[in-house]
Amino acid sequence: MMRTNLSRLRGFTGLPGGGLLGPAATVIYLLFIGLPVLALLIRAAQQESFFAGLVGGMALTALRLSLITSGISMIIILIVGTPFAYLLARNTSWILRIIDSLIELPIVLPPVVAGVAMLMAFGRQGVLGPFLETLGISLPFTTGAVVFAQIFVAAPFYIRSAKLGFQSVAQDYEDISQTLGISPWKTFWRLTLPLAAPSVLTGFALAWARALSEFGATIMFAGNLMGKTQTMPLAIMTAMESSLDTALALSVLLLAGSVTILIALGLATRPKWQNRL
Amino acid sequence: MPVAKGWVKCRVGGFSLEVDWHIEEGQVLVLFGPSGAGKTTTLRAIAGLVRPEEGRVELGGRVVFDSAAGISVPVHGRQVGYLTQQYHLFPHLNVRENIAYGLSQRGQPEARAEVDRLVRMLRLDGLEDRRTWELSGGQQQRVALARALATSPQILLLDEPFASLDAELRRVLRRELRAMLVESPIPVMLVTHDREEALALGDSVQVIDDGRIVDQGEPLRVLGQPGRGRVARLAGVENLLAMTVESRNPQDGTMVCSGDGMKLEVPLDAAPTNQNDAPDQTRNILVGLRSSDIILAMEEPKGTSARNRLAGTVASVEPRPPGYEVTVDCGIPLKAQVTGAAMSELGIKPGQNLWAVFKASSCFLVQEDTPPARDTGAVS
Repeated sequence: MMRTNLSRLRGFTGLPGGGLLGPAATVIYLLFIGLPVLALLIRAAQQESFFAGLVGGMALTALRLSLITSGISMIIILIVGTPFAYLLARNTSWILRIIDSLIELPIVLPPVVAGVAMLMAFGRQGVLGPFLETLGISLPFTTGAVVFAQIFVAAPFYIRSAKLGFQSVAQDYEDISQTLGISPWKTFWRLTLPLAAPSVLTGFALAWARALSEFGATIMFAGNLMGKTQTMPLAIMTAMESSLDTALALSVLLLAGSVTILIALGLATRPKWQNRL
Repeated sequence: MPVAKGWVKCRVGGFSLEVDWHIEEGQVLVLFGPSGAGKTTTLRAIAGLVRPEEGRVELGGRVVFDSAAGISVPVHGRQVGYLTQQYHLFPHLNVRENIAYGLSQRGQPEARAEVDRLVRMLRLDGLEDRRTWELSGGQQQRVALARALATSPQILLLDEPFASLDAELRRVLRRELRAMLVESPIPVMLVTHDREEALALGDSVQVIDDGRIVDQGEPLRVLGQPGRGRVARLAGVENLLAMTVESRNPQDGTMVCSGDGMKLEVPLDAAPTNQNDAPDQTRNILVGLRSSDIILAMEEPKGTSARNRLAGTVASVEPRPPGYEVTVDCGIPLKAQVTGAAMSELGIKPGQNLWAVFKASSCFLVQEDTPPARDTGAVS
């Protein structure tokens, strides 16, 4: 009885990947993803003025702005997101569980909508607009707005992943650490954070990648001002209209950055003790 | 000087816990009881990981918790050594770093010397650079113990320290732990639901059931021949026989009782009988008998001092490491513990007729906790 059930189950689960269907699907998928990526590299290589496009004023300015804004965004996400993620991981009150389920809203929300929403909040006609104006602050179409947009869309990736990382560290470890005379604060730095590091780093990398590629919310809320709000994705979009060289060069640069992040993730987040918690 | 004493009242959900303790220097107090009785909560309350509603916890002459005085020292200021069932060694640190974890505040050379001392004491030489998951269960336990001892705790709290080990290793490690505890003057509170463990390690034992201490004292007395029904069941007394007193022999210190066509000679009960000293037919008693105290014989034993010799039929044989448990139907089913060698030598199998033999003094009277009406009736 048991045996027939098992074999039937195995046959069933084996079906979608069995025969030729599995390999065929794999090839189709890899071609679909790989071809555009390859094409981008090939076209960029054919371009005679590739390096000229790369060092052109627009590209460098956009690159510098992207690095600075995403760097500031990530620092803020780390400072605010880490304690928040830890609280979510440790506390199980119903109110935090509701908040927990809403954390991912910015991930599923279309970025353009996020941009509109931020305008409605911080824009001149926004809810906080008059208040900000009395302080002499005007946020939209400034570099600060770029940072706001990036944090809005990128933070959930970090918080989600860091929360899972903290959850993987059983509270018993922290209890033991405290009985050994280590305060809760020091326990976090010496024990919890190192043990959660793989997930925290993954979240950091994913959030950073998302911040770097931010487009929709930025163009809505911060505009497309060269040297001020024109980050790399916006620069690519703008360059496509005038200079394919620059667009290609910037695209290859972002692609290289993404691949580097992926490889770094694969290398950095597999400590030997990962499954021993 | 009492080194660790106190009492706590805790309420966790619908469960309430009320315990007190008093452990002298170098003594091991065993908290014995079923899971869910509140043993671990007691340890956690002493460590400060659970906050009691009321109580007072004194460690090494220092009050670390006193609800009346509003004192509550945080966990990291209490100087307790706490070992969990799974030891929870830190996986990102090697053995040496694990042991040195709590020594970070002290100077480097001093910490190094202390780690070396503990490594030698707990025979962890050569393992200092190992990852924690490369260690055997016994080694992990010793590392956890070393890590706790490194911080010079005022009390050692051991939560089922052998739970995750197999039976054979358990016996070896129990002996080791006992030897180590003898060397250190630290008071120890050890939680277990294993009777053997309690007998082997405890200087005294407290039986906890449903958040209350139901018996306490010297382990052999409390758990060997438990005098109360609840404790007898918790301590796993295999035979609990409901019988009626037939006659008393005060000069021998025994009495005869019967039940289901079976007659037993058991120790005399302390309770007085009727005014005219007549046999009290109405007195019902509960007789406890350890399966390991019963001898099985193929024919009726003659010329033995054992007062109880009962003919019976083997009803069932079940493996019960390290031997077998043979149930013999003598009117009432009696459970007897037999070694594997004895099993094969006697060729014991179901349906066989044999004799169960045991001393009167192996029997002990168990007092039922719940309906004491009949007992008090006899006294008044």
